[in-house]
Amino acid sequence: MEQPNSTNLFDHLARELICIILDHLLRDDDPFAAKSFSQVCKSFHALESTRRLKLKPRRLEYLGRILKRYRWISQLDLTLCPCVDDATLERLSLAWSSSLRRVDLSRTRLFSHVGVSSLALNCTCLVEIDLSNRADLTDLAAKAIANAVNLERLSLGRCKSITDLGIACVAVGCSRLRHVGLRWCIRITDFGAALIAIKCKQIRSFDLSYLPITEKCLHHILQLEHLEDLVLEHCIGIEDQGLATLQASCKSIKMLNLSKCQNISHIGIASLSKGAQNLEKLILSRSLVVTADLAKCLQSFPKLQLVKLDGCLGTMSGLKGIGNLCASLKELNLSKCAGVTDENLSFLVQTHKDLEKIDITCCGRITHASISSITNSCLRLTSLRMESCSMVSREGFLFIGQCQLLEELDVTDTEIDDQGLLSISRCTKLSNLKLGICLMITDIGLKHIASSCSELKHLDLYRSSRITDEGIVAISLGCPLLEVVNIAYNSNITDTSLVSLSKSQKLRTLEIRGCTRISPEGFSNIAARCKHLETLDIKSCYKINDTGMIQLAQYSQNLKQIKLSYCSVTDLGLIALASISCLQNLSIFHVEGLTSNGLVAFLLASQSLIKVKLHACFESLIPHQIKKYMEARGCVLLWRDKTLEASRWE
Amino acid sequence: MDPKGSLCANSTRSSSLTSPVNALQTNFPSDPSSFYGVRIETPFKEFNLPSPPTQSVLPGEPNKDIMIPDQENCPLSDMSHASKLQDWNPSAMLNNLSFLEEKIHQLRDLVHLIVNKKCQPFGQPHELVTQEQQLVTADLTSIIVQLISSAGSLLPSVRHTLTNTNPLVGQLDQLHGINLPFGSDSSSGLRSQNNSGNKLLDQSTQNDPPNNCEMEQNYNMEEHEPKDEEDIDEGEHLPPGSYEILQLEKEEILAPHTHFCTICGKGFKRDANLRMHMRGHGDEYKTPAALAKPHKETGSEPKLIKRYSCPYAGCKRNKDHKKFQPLKTILCVKNHYKRTHCDKSYTCSRCNTKKFSVMADLKTHEKHCGKDKWLCSCGTTFSRKDKLFGHIALFQGHTPAIPLDDTKGVAEPPDLQNRESNNSVGSNNFCFGSNPSSENAVQNMMDVKGNIDDPMNYFSSLNFEGCNFGGFNEFSQPPFEDSEGSFSFLMSGSFNYAPKFGGGESSSDNLL
Repeated sequence: MEQPNSTNLFDHLARELICIILDHLLRDDDPFAAKSFSQVCKSFHALESTRRLKLKPRRLEYLGRILKRYRWISQLDLTLCPCVDDATLERLSLAWSSSLRRVDLSRTRLFSHVGVSSLALNCTCLVEIDLSNRADLTDLAAKAIANAVNLERLSLGRCKSITDLGIACVAVGCSRLRHVGLRWCIRITDFGAALIAIKCKQIRSFDLSYLPITEKCLHHILQLEHLEDLVLEHCIGIEDQGLATLQASCKSIKMLNLSKCQNISHIGIASLSKGAQNLEKLILSRSLVVTADLAKCLQSFPKLQLVKLDGCLGTMSGLKGIGNLCASLKELNLSKCAGVTDENLSFLVQTHKDLEKIDITCCGRITHASISSITNSCLRLTSLRMESCSMVSREGFLFIGQCQLLEELDVTDTEIDDQGLLSISRCTKLSNLKLGICLMITDIGLKHIASSCSELKHLDLYRSSRITDEGIVAISLGCPLLEVVNIAYNSNITDTSLVSLSKSQKLRTLEIRGCTRISPEGFSNIAARCKHLETLDIKSCYKINDTGMIQLAQYSQNLKQIKLSYCSVTDLGLIALASISCLQNLSIFHVEGLTSNGLVAFLLASQSLIKVKLHACFESLIPHQIKKYMEARGCVLLWRDKTLEASRWE
Repeated sequence: MDPKGSLCANSTRSSSLTSPVNALQTNFPSDPSSFYGVRIETPFKEFNLPSPPTQSVLPGEPNKDIMIPDQENCPLSDMSHASKLQDWNPSAMLNNLSFLEEKIHQLRDLVHLIVNKKCQPFGQPHELVTQEQQLVTADLTSIIVQLISSAGSLLPSVRHTLTNTNPLVGQLDQLHGINLPFGSDSSSGLRSQNNSGNKLLDQSTQNDPPNNCEMEQNYNMEEHEPKDEEDIDEGEHLPPGSYEILQLEKEEILAPHTHFCTICGKGFKRDANLRMHMRGHGDEYKTPAALAKPHKETGSEPKLIKRYSCPYAGCKRNKDHKKFQPLKTILCVKNHYKRTHCDKSYTCSRCNTKKFSVMADLKTHEKHCGKDKWLCSCGTTFSRKDKLFGHIALFQGHTPAIPLDDTKGVAEPPDLQNRESNNSVGSNNFCFGSNPSSENAVQNMMDVKGNIDDPMNYFSSLNFEGCNFGGFNEFSQPPFEDSEGSFSFLMSGSFNYAPKFGGGESSSDNLL
């Protein structure tokens, strides 16, 4: 239709200018921004179509239109589409044959090696492909991947059917590979891993976690000239004796992950990292005993920045030895590391004054003395995780305020009180604060936080039962950037909190599980206003009913996950939810108003479902064909026989 | 028979009883499928059918054919077994043999009776389910067992020979030797020997098919061992003149038999077999002196080492060659001559491409044929994964070939089923499972079991390396449900084989 006033003001803007604006919008990865932009006028729409490079479609029903509109997609993320068949892959690979560079198929099923083959053959500039979680893909798929000669990044996590033969094809075909992830590809052995190292000389990162490999392939891998990251998590075939035979050494390696490798000691680490002058990160989670010998071994890495010893048994001399390292650590993880005491931790942090991240979760023996020395020496601290450090008294938390660069603080299940929060409120950059099961804190403390920590994005108040609406209102006002809020099992929370939280425009995740006083009216505020809501847990909010669901359906079109067990929702509300186009996960137990017919109607109507948890009593009531149909569509129905938690009904 | 005789047999059984099971197996072609085929189809009928004709033919005949291949490959065992010959008890053996003769006569009469009375075609085995048949079955079993037992008693310390070389062949030789006088005389029958027979059955019952295969393979390995000698002596550097060079003529090398009976003219591959045969011609051949190995007596003088030359002119193994490398044994000469200067007449029935001139080579190949599952895109096959990956690492652009159906297991060769059906042709109209005789057999076995002190000993004394006798652990557990299994196993071993290998004059030649 021809417009009478053809003078579109936007046409007068310089095209370059618009392009700059658009690129800026697109760079932020904000789908809403791009959408709004394209809806301004025809020329903007056209511009957006040509400039757009990334695409993360929710469904592929409109693939034809997508293909027509966006001609230059280079990055395609199909993780929201559980079912992608070979024909679809072929179609899009033909349409974007010259532009497509990265494809993520890690959450997608149904396609076979034929689809992979068409992708690899048609998209000649494909550099990245993620085929994780496809345990049924065979060597034929691997052979198909081998056609993508320019491939640089390949993820095959959990592709349990791919064997050495398949990976050998990949190694030969994709010689430019730089990043290879073979985590959980348990049928790949030394042969396949070694062949990749032999054929792909450009490898930068190599993940061989959980593979039955030994030192035989490491011999070849260590000869890679550019190798930086080597992940050998839970490779129990790697042992000290074998490692001792290694002749090769890799100088370029920067990160070595030996988590859960139970058969190595400091001797093995020494032989594995021989000559690794540039090693920066060493991850030894749940693998060995931290001894003085290990500390001595770590001395040979002058550039070491990160050490993870979580779940290891730490000896006094070992931990002190780490304190004597010549390198200055930036990140240290000692969570669940038995043997961490005030003495050795204090000693440790005094030498590593550059520490930025410390994790001392579940270090039950440390007291406020440790916190004092940490906060005194590590002034650059940005992250402190000290969940369940139960011996730290309330005085200990008063020191935390000294670390003014702190961004992340986890004091879940500790003795922290309002005075502690007052101290913490000096950390104005705080964005992630976890105060779960902190029974001493009250609204007063929260108000301190709200008054100064305006950058707070994540707030966890799980079971901090002394919190009331007052605190939440203060937080909502003071922290406008809130994205994730957990106020589960706080019985004092009422609608007032939700009304104030609904003003947090960026709210993505809200957990109000067990907040029994919340009424449908209060919830409707959240449902109607928080348009970016993706995850919602309203389990045991008994009063929430169909009204809330209908409002969610109307406004929260981005909802992906909802848990509504024990709610007063009926068939009606559930069917309303089906109109949320990206709803993927659902958990429904003991919803009294729900019938099998309503459930079936919902299942049939909801298009994007991936996982639905249902009570086992429905299993026999749902027709077999429906189950088959849902399975074919890529939705998993999980039947759980959960008992009714009657005490909640009081 | 007097209890002494049976006691004697019992006392030697620990070493001897085990032999039949294995000996019979050895004769199977290396392909285990055919073995299974035979076993599953319960070729009991084959056992029953040939029994009447045995009356006219020399009963040992089929067995002799069986032996030939092994014999050829293992001349070494001649020595070992001959050296043991001194140990055996001739009087006990004589007792055994006369018992056997008598038994066979009884059986022949019985079968004659059946034949005359019924005049039924033998192809109707379902109608043969009679008392007579059960009797025949039981007797035949007993005979075979006794036969084997006697053969074993010739060789009291099987253990040693087994660990040395080719024990089976030695045992088989003796078995064969004992077979020969079989059909001639008669004496009075005895029931008591049934015991040993049934015990044997017990043991064979314990042989689960997988075990059988394993043992069989093991034996094949041993059979083919001498083949390697040719390669081994490559490294030998005897100074010229330090050994005596013998050169056999072509005809001599290719001759199926090298030892001939001066009385009847029958040919044998081994002197020991001839000596066994000779015993049938009269008592004068049964003396220990006549049965002893002739070389042994002259062996006291120091002799020059013997080495052999290939008669083929121009061959490196020919004594006229300037870089002459002698062959170590006669077997080496035979194998070398056939491999190098003869047509490759044995074609692998699986791949139909590989050809061999030595039967043992074919058997070795057939064991691995089709197992070369590691295939490169260039068409090269590898039997080992590391070799394939080494190849791929070495060559640019070569990738492993991935089968389209993507089945990882070794596919059953298509001809395997054909073989099975072939085997079953002769036996599929006989159903042993429904035959009451099987129950009898079971009963017998059950009775006998108490006599066995420690069945495991029989087997452990064998020292089979790499053999899994896991099934034997259940030996002492009472129920033997698949008595037909044991029967078919035993019978198929001895009778099914005759048509397979003895199916013509050329067959024995082929087996060389």
